[in-house]
Amino acid sequence: MGGTLGIIVDISLNSFVLSGVFLIVAIGLNIIYGLSRIMNMGHGALYAVGAYTGYTLVASGLNYFAALLIAPIIVGAIGLLIERSIIAPMRKRSMVYTLILTYGLMFFLDGMIKYVWGNKPCFIDLPAFLQGTLPILGTDYPVFRMATLFLIAGIMGGLMLFLNKTKVGLILRASSTIPEMVSCMGINMNYVHMGAFVLGCIMAGMAGVIAGPLTTIDPLMGSEMLISSFVVVVIGGLGSLRGAVIAAILIGVVQTLAEFFITDLAMVIVYILMAVILAFMPRGILGEGKFE
Amino acid sequence: MENTTNIPGIKKRSHPLKIVMVILILIGLALFPFISENRFYISLINEMMIYGLLAMSLDVLLGYTGSLSFMHNAYMGISAYIVGLFLIHLSPTSLWLACFAGIIFTSVVALPVGWVQVRTGGLAFALLTMAFGMMFHTIVWKWYDVTGGDDGLMGMPNPDIILFGWNLGNSGNPIVIYIFTLIIVAICFFLTRRIINSPFGAVLEAIRENEDRASFVGINVRRYKLLGWMLACMLASVAGALFILYKGYIGPTTMSAFAGAGVLMMVLLGGMGSLWGAFVGAAIFIYIQDYISTMTEHWEIYLGLVVIFLVLFLPTGFVGLGEHLKRFRKA
Repeated sequence: MGGTLGIIVDISLNSFVLSGVFLIVAIGLNIIYGLSRIMNMGHGALYAVGAYTGYTLVASGLNYFAALLIAPIIVGAIGLLIERSIIAPMRKRSMVYTLILTYGLMFFLDGMIKYVWGNKPCFIDLPAFLQGTLPILGTDYPVFRMATLFLIAGIMGGLMLFLNKTKVGLILRASSTIPEMVSCMGINMNYVHMGAFVLGCIMAGMAGVIAGPLTTIDPLMGSEMLISSFVVVVIGGLGSLRGAVIAAILIGVVQTLAEFFITDLAMVIVYILMAVILAFMPRGILGEGKFE
Repeated sequence: MENTTNIPGIKKRSHPLKIVMVILILIGLALFPFISENRFYISLINEMMIYGLLAMSLDVLLGYTGSLSFMHNAYMGISAYIVGLFLIHLSPTSLWLACFAGIIFTSVVALPVGWVQVRTGGLAFALLTMAFGMMFHTIVWKWYDVTGGDDGLMGMPNPDIILFGWNLGNSGNPIVIYIFTLIIVAICFFLTRRIINSPFGAVLEAIRENEDRASFVGINVRRYKLLGWMLACMLASVAGALFILYKGYIGPTTMSAFAGAGVLMMVLLGGMGSLWGAFVGAAIFIYIQDYISTMTEHWEIYLGLVVIFLVLFLPTGFVGLGEHLKRFRKA
């Protein structure tokens, strides 16, 4: 362990990794909200489901990278089931109902997690070549965390390419601005809503598998992540992707610093930050949010 | 002419049968501990009344102003902690002073929170209640020196309860605390009913139905929303004072998001926008909770399923179910 420089590098890299996980979860929330105006309270639980599924897959002898592909697909399938059975019938009802509904979903999923995997914390075993450390600027940084940074950058890049360069991405972007016009062009909005929800769930599942080896997997991880990703979404502006990137980095840095200096009350600072932004800049830091 | 009776804010005379019913229920509840020897049911009904009051306070917010508060139990918790701390550290006998301290402290905390919250609406309001609620929960949970952290607040003294110059007895006695809870909850219920049926209540309902139109009529929407919020928080703080007297203990789980969902579910079970419905919802919820938790530890799954079921199929709760049946019979 190095001196001050090492600590600074350590903290900043840690906060970037944390920011990346927040970002993927928050973007999933943002996509669902931006396209369907549904704030999914069960998103944190889906993230936890992703982490646990990844754990089970790796524990059953699968390669970590294969789990990284398969677990999000499983979570996406669960999302599809949820969307068809309970979210779709609620489209026309007021937002209060969907909030309460997905709140119920969160408890259901949390309960199921405890039922299936039990209460004790789990750990995802990494492949050998990711377990070492890498000397960077006076500190030994874990290889896996470095790899995570590139992984997250890759996922974000892929998502941006998907949204900006493909036809489906075009339809999604158009639907978030003028849904009526899109449905006039002969596109079934039901499929758009469905696709948005499933895409959001896949993002949550992916974040879960990525975060799995970084922290311990326990039943509480879902609700903690839900709050953090809400904070990111709110600060960045609801439905704004660029805002979410900035907000995720901000929250990641604040939370890492707060945990470094005053461990216990770290989250209180984050909550206060969220309250201040909501009250005085309700459209987020970039002013791009869509609030109703 | 039939329709005019339904306009909110216009004082309607209650049906004499309804008045008789309410009086009978109150007398029945008051006599219950003297008839039944079963301590278990006495404390169960006591808990139902306290949570009914909390659910009613959330219903004032959700059913009348249309604002969703995820963690209304936080304000009950704050008040309970303050009453407990006051009795433990300052004066173990002055119960009323402690209760006032609890209510006033909760109001002082709720005022700036409400001031921030009413500046937003809808989703942002709901998210803010969550942010603040989690904040209070974290503070109570982590501030070990004052609140006892995970262990909760221990060592509550049992002061004598003196009501209108009449000594009811020691608060350690479950029957005394039962009667005290009944009296306070009944007073709160009728007061709230009076407030909700006044023009003030009509303004709140107008804001719930359409905020823009209400502001065009010249209503200061933010001010009324803040007043509604303060009313809800003060009622919750009364519930908190009763809660700690009844339990003699409070821990951070009472203020958790999980408990908040329970309160929300009581309101849903009873039906939004009905004050007595909140009590019905609380009674059903607490009975079911007591019943299921003895059978299975996976209580969360059932809670989630019931919430989903209620929102999908019975959004007006059991009170609404009654209305449906009435309409069905008429048709």
